[in-house]
Amino acid sequence: MSRIIVVTSGKGGVGKTTTTSNLGAALAKQNRSVALVDADFGLRNLDLLLGLEERVVYTAIDVLAGECRLAQALVKDKRLKGLVLLPAAQNRNKEAVQPEQMKKITSALAKGYDYILIDCPAGIELGFRNAICAAKEALIVTTPEVAAVRDADRVIGLLEAEGVNKINLIVNRVKPLMVEENKMMSVEDVLELLGVPLIGVVPDDEKVIVATNRGEPLVLADDNSLPSQAYSNIARRLEGEKVPFLDLLANQGSIFSRLRRMFGG
Amino acid sequence: MTFEPTISLDKNDDLPDSSPLVNRYSQVYLKHDGEQILLVIPSQAEISSDLPWSEIWQELKHLLKTKEHSWQTATEVCLDARDRLLDARQLQTIAETLSDANLSLSTVRTNRRQTAVAAATSGYSVQQNSTQPSIERLDSEEIIPNLAEPLYLQSTVRSGVEIRHPGTIVIFGDLNPGGKAIAAGDILVWGRLRGNAHAGATGNHQCRIAALQMEFTQLRIADAVARAPKTRPRRFSPELAFVTTEGISLAQTSEFAKRYVFSLPNKAWINKDRAK
Repeated sequence: MSRIIVVTSGKGGVGKTTTTSNLGAALAKQNRSVALVDADFGLRNLDLLLGLEERVVYTAIDVLAGECRLAQALVKDKRLKGLVLLPAAQNRNKEAVQPEQMKKITSALAKGYDYILIDCPAGIELGFRNAICAAKEALIVTTPEVAAVRDADRVIGLLEAEGVNKINLIVNRVKPLMVEENKMMSVEDVLELLGVPLIGVVPDDEKVIVATNRGEPLVLADDNSLPSQAYSNIARRLEGEKVPFLDLLANQGSIFSRLRRMFGG
Repeated sequence: MTFEPTISLDKNDDLPDSSPLVNRYSQVYLKHDGEQILLVIPSQAEISSDLPWSEIWQELKHLLKTKEHSWQTATEVCLDARDRLLDARQLQTIAETLSDANLSLSTVRTNRRQTAVAAATSGYSVQQNSTQPSIERLDSEEIIPNLAEPLYLQSTVRSGVEIRHPGTIVIFGDLNPGGKAIAAGDILVWGRLRGNAHAGATGNHQCRIAALQMEFTQLRIADAVARAPKTRPRRFSPELAFVTTEGISLAQTSEFAKRYVFSLPNKAWINKDRAK
C-alpha cells in the first residue's frame, strides 16, 4: 500500500520544497521507491532543488492533456535508484488543474511507488486544494515564528475539514542557541499551540542553502551534517521506526554556554 | 441621489469603545426536529451578503465534524434551503457529505422552483414553501427572545475559523489565536482561550466568558471590548470574564459567585457589598 503524503505549510518560504526534496532523497536511500509531485504550477522549484531542471521534457499538464504517457513525464534521478519527479508546468497557473485531475495522477502513481510526496504551493487557494485532495497524510512544515505557526494552524484546520487526519509536524530552521536565550519560540511552544504529533526538528544551517543552490539535496551532498541527519531521521520515523530526536545543542555555542548547560544553569 | 459608503481613516490607536453588535448568524446549522435532523442553510437576505457555495459546503463539513456522534446512524435529514438556489450537483454534494457522517438526506424544503425541480429529479421528497414567509422566517426576524440550544464543539477552534451561534457556545478544546467564537449567549472554553471571543453578541450584558486558561487576544461582551493585558501570570487558573461598570473584568471562577451579582439598572455585574 503506497502512502500519499502532502508537504504543506500555508506560509511561503518556510522550507516545503527543501523538505520534500530531502525527504524524497532520504526515503530513496532507504531503498524505497518515491515519486515527488510538484503541485506548484506556475512557480515550480522542486526540479531546481533536485538538479533535474535540464532533464524535464514533459510536465503534469502534458500528461493530463494526453500528449504523453505518465511514465514519459517522470524524471528519474540518476544518483538515486527509485526516486522520480513529476514536474509541474511552468507556463500555466494554478487554475490549469482541477482537484479531480490531481487525484487521477496520484492514484496512477500510487500503483508503482511506495511513497508519493506532494510539494504543495503556499496559500490556501485552488493550488492548495489541488495538492491536498488526493493526500491521505500530511506533513506540516513550520518555522518557529508566530506568523508561520498561525498559518500552520489554519492549514491544519482545513486539512482536518477535508478528512486528512494523519498529520505530522516538522519544525524547520530552529536556532537552538536563540531558543536557549529565549529569543525564539521553542519547539515545545509550537507543539503546544498546534497540538499535532512532532515528526522532526531541523536546525537552521547554511549548508542547506549551499546544497539548494547546487541542485543537490543535502541528504546526498553531506551525509554527516545535522540537518541531513534530521531529514534521514524523519524518513525513518515515517517508516515507523522509533528514532530519538537529535541534540541540536551539541557542539554549539561558546565554551561558557556549554559549561553552563553541563551544570544545568 | 445615492449614498456611497465612505471609508474614513481616523488615526486613533485606541480600540473602539464599543464593538458592533452581531445580529446575523451566517452559519449553516443543524437542529434536532423530532425523529429527523433539520439542516438549515441561511437565505441570502438573512446574512445580507451572498455566501458562496464553497463556503457553505466548508461550513457544513466543519459542522458535521464537530457535531459527530450526536445522532444515530442513518438518521434522516431534512434540508431547509430557504431561497437559495441549489442545483442537482450541489444537492448531491450535500447528500454525499451527509452520508460521510452517517446521515441520509431525505427531504428538501425550499421556496425556489428550480431547487424544488432539481431535488425532485434527484429523488428527494420536496416540500415547497410558498413565497410567504415561513414560521422560521418570522422567528428570525424578531429579536430572538430565547436563545438556541447550546452549540457543543468537540474540537480545537483553529486560526481562520469563526464560530457564530445564536446561543451559548461550549468548546471542548482550545480556541487558538486567529480563531473566533461569537455567541448570543455565554462562551465556555474547556481549554485555553487564546483567540477572540464575543459573548452576548446581540447585546446581553449578563453574558460571561469562561476558560480554563485566559490567554485571549481580545474579549468582547455585548458592546464592551477588552484587550489582553501586557503581562499575564505564568500560571493560570480557571477564570471568568464579565462586564462591570468599568468595563470587562476577570475573576477566578471559584470567587465569582461569592462576590458578584448582576444589577439590571447598571447593566453590569457589581460587587455584592455595593449592592446592599
